[in-house]
Amino acid sequence: MSKISRREFLEGTGGALVIAAAVPRLVQAVPLATSTVPAETEAPAVPRTAIRLAVNGVDRRIEVEDRWTLVELLRDHLGLTGSKIGCDRGECGACTVLLDGRPVYSCSYLAVWVDGRSIQTVEGLAQGDRLHPLQEAFIEHDGPQCGFCTPGQLMSAQALLERNPHPTPDQVRAALSGNICRCSNYNRYVEAVLAAAAGSATAPGKP
Amino acid sequence: MTPLKSVGRATPRIDAVKRVTGTATYTGDIQLPGMLYARVLRSPYAHARIRSIDVSEAMAIPGVKAIITYRTCRVVWSSGDMRNKRYLFNNPVRFAGDAVAAVAASTRHIAEEAMRLIDVDYEELPFILDPEEALKPGAVEIQPGGNLSPNAKGEHEPEVYRRGNVDEGLRSADRVFEDRYTSVHLNNAQLEPRVSVAQWEGDKLTVYASTQGISNCRTDIAKDLQLPPEKVRVVCQYMGGGFGNKNQCHDFDLMAAVLAKKAGAPVKLEFTRKEDYTAVHGRWPTKQYYKVGVNRDGTLSAIQLRGYSGMGPYRKGVGGIAGVELYQCPNVETVIYPAYTNMAVSANYRAPAYPQGVFGIESLMDDIAYKLKIDPVEFRLKNLTRKHHDELPYTSSGLEDCLRRGAQAFEWKKRWHPPGADPGPIKRGVGLAMGAFGSSLGRSSAVIRLDSRGRFHLHVGVTDVGTGAKTTMALIAAEELGVPLEKLDVVSGDTDLCPYSVGESGSRTTNYTGDAVVQAARDLKRQLAEKGMPQGNEVRIASATLEPTLKDVARYSFAAHFVEVEVDTELGHARVHKYVAAHDSGRIVNPLTATSQVKGGATMGIGMALHEELLYDPGTGVPLNAGYYGARVMTHRDAPEVEVIFVETDDPYGPFGAKALGEPPIIPSVAAVANAIFNAIGRRIKDLPITRDKILGVVA
Repeated sequence: MSKISRREFLEGTGGALVIAAAVPRLVQAVPLATSTVPAETEAPAVPRTAIRLAVNGVDRRIEVEDRWTLVELLRDHLGLTGSKIGCDRGECGACTVLLDGRPVYSCSYLAVWVDGRSIQTVEGLAQGDRLHPLQEAFIEHDGPQCGFCTPGQLMSAQALLERNPHPTPDQVRAALSGNICRCSNYNRYVEAVLAAAAGSATAPGKP
Repeated sequence: MTPLKSVGRATPRIDAVKRVTGTATYTGDIQLPGMLYARVLRSPYAHARIRSIDVSEAMAIPGVKAIITYRTCRVVWSSGDMRNKRYLFNNPVRFAGDAVAAVAASTRHIAEEAMRLIDVDYEELPFILDPEEALKPGAVEIQPGGNLSPNAKGEHEPEVYRRGNVDEGLRSADRVFEDRYTSVHLNNAQLEPRVSVAQWEGDKLTVYASTQGISNCRTDIAKDLQLPPEKVRVVCQYMGGGFGNKNQCHDFDLMAAVLAKKAGAPVKLEFTRKEDYTAVHGRWPTKQYYKVGVNRDGTLSAIQLRGYSGMGPYRKGVGGIAGVELYQCPNVETVIYPAYTNMAVSANYRAPAYPQGVFGIESLMDDIAYKLKIDPVEFRLKNLTRKHHDELPYTSSGLEDCLRRGAQAFEWKKRWHPPGADPGPIKRGVGLAMGAFGSSLGRSSAVIRLDSRGRFHLHVGVTDVGTGAKTTMALIAAEELGVPLEKLDVVSGDTDLCPYSVGESGSRTTNYTGDAVVQAARDLKRQLAEKGMPQGNEVRIASATLEPTLKDVARYSFAAHFVEVEVDTELGHARVHKYVAAHDSGRIVNPLTATSQVKGGATMGIGMALHEELLYDPGTGVPLNAGYYGARVMTHRDAPEVEVIFVETDDPYGPFGAKALGEPPIIPSVAAVANAIFNAIGRRIKDLPITRDKILGVVA
């Protein structure tokens, strides 16, 4: 397990807060709210649809433009910027989220299609201050180098372990094969997923 | 070497929690109130003159706030071309992807719609893609003065290095080997696409950049926009990779700033993946012609290289072809012609001049060893460099140990067989190659602030592109201060809060900024000895600005890689299934992240050896396969387990003896894979990448 807890990390970054304060605040996600994005007053009217979805366990109603992708909704309009856009065309996997538990490329899925469905993003993995065992293993085994592909690798790994709690190394590679890491830290990611799987039987909250 | 307390201990990244929880703020995650979105219109032609450009229809769309073109924006992008004046928008356009206009609008959808309504009338011009062809008489002139890019003195001359007398060395040799190797243009393809957010507050410009070096990025922006440097702030807290293509400032930083000024609102400019592949830069393609003279005893008498590097139409990179310096040899001549072409621009990509050059020289040396019936490891032990250019002593060299220890761990003697001896149809084969990379020292600064709570705040101008630089700097400071890592915060990635750092390019951060951290820590210890711990509102501030140089010595990192492949001779598919990478990077500051760097670099090189290429249509000069699938980067299923060995030499320079690490791992990888394929099938493929069609072509 990691020697750094989330709490210790946050306490240890007093200096970094200087920077955090200097960086503009991201659009804050409003829990349990009906967030309606105001129509661009001067822009030509584009078709919109009201949808309802659960994101990381929180119910949301929102009016979306029909042309928005799911990742666009999450990042630009719900303030969930953990999911990344690496290619915006279903090649790299940085935008991977779970749709009713199954991994999808959220850049290649329209926001209107998620009406009535449930989404889990990387922001929904940790329980408060307690990191998910996969997150602990990713830290311990140095999964993220630049870290840009990491949210996608995590979500694909999460989907795998949900349906196969004890995968072989080849099963891990197959499940994560849609997630490109240009730092090419593939060995570390596989190592980390296997370690999380091996530790999961004893992790708190797991049967 | 004496073991240390913090340095040398495998340590998870100090910012790892943010990286795994989606809370790390990358540039594209930044949203500012009233922010506009920008898109860039690009040339569909390899070479064309713009007869006219009409933006009126695009400008009339509600939501469009600003459009700039070569007519309305005459900003020079100085780091976009080392030799010629390159504007943000140029006429003529010189490659398919050259910027023609940029649009800022209230949403990215509107910006994209507006872009489609810009009416450009092009007059197509002849184009050329091959660097050797570009230098022949009658070739279309891409830049004024001809297609041989001028040297630093402005002369249209090739880059030449000579020692001894190469003609004499070739004449006196017992045998002379002659061959040609080629490499192609491929893209850095970092996961985070280019993005920049620019905001003006009065006359102060803040650029949230995706850059490998905030300090140099700021200097460049200030120069190109003619602002005093103190009026420019560059922020980059988390960065999604670059591998050399996010050094300095880029045209998108400047375009965002110009658009933001014109529109009176902050602007986010995002590149698509296709733009990232075709419009920025990748590795320079090369053609390499070698002659090597060998003596009866297997030592070298001469190495001659004539090389051509395709730089695209702007000289953004050096264009060298490196690798010959791996060998001891009295007579050497290298003549490199960096040529303008109408391909995508070529510049820095992880060890810019090396993997393609080392592919050439290490393939050829492997061939020579085979023809002289000398074991490839023995041949290298006999001929490897003992002094840099046979002249300057190395401050430390673990090259021989990398070969010996790597060969042992790989079980070279057991695995090697005569080339092509495996009956197949799936044939195994082994190969190796060496690498070396300069580990210089130079200008950098660091500040350490100690508060009365006993917390140390280390201010360094690094951005941490994925190398683990923040953690490395913290470990170096903790070591020198003699305090646990937990007592330290690292303040980085903001030019308003951090002193100058060289930035993460040239594998220099650990050495340059690390040395400054050591000196700042010593300064702080002196102050504490004199004045004691700060009390109440007191702070102790220590700093260092260094500009060390090396005299009469050469400082290098070294490596040797060993690879086993399986080649399916019926399908043409080559697969790496065993890999040992031995590295001398001096003392390893953080073995956890250092091992990741080596694994990643080696794996990246396998992709370059086997399948990565940006393909061009010879009929139109347009790239065909931009993107991850098309250009075939490595995936989880292609990556072998890479075993990493560190040969820790005791180097007298650098922080605690650390040498360069980030770039070396990609250097030997390409050649080692190529040599393993030769050993498997008994036929040598001399043109990268070694794709299925080429393998099937020689085994049939």
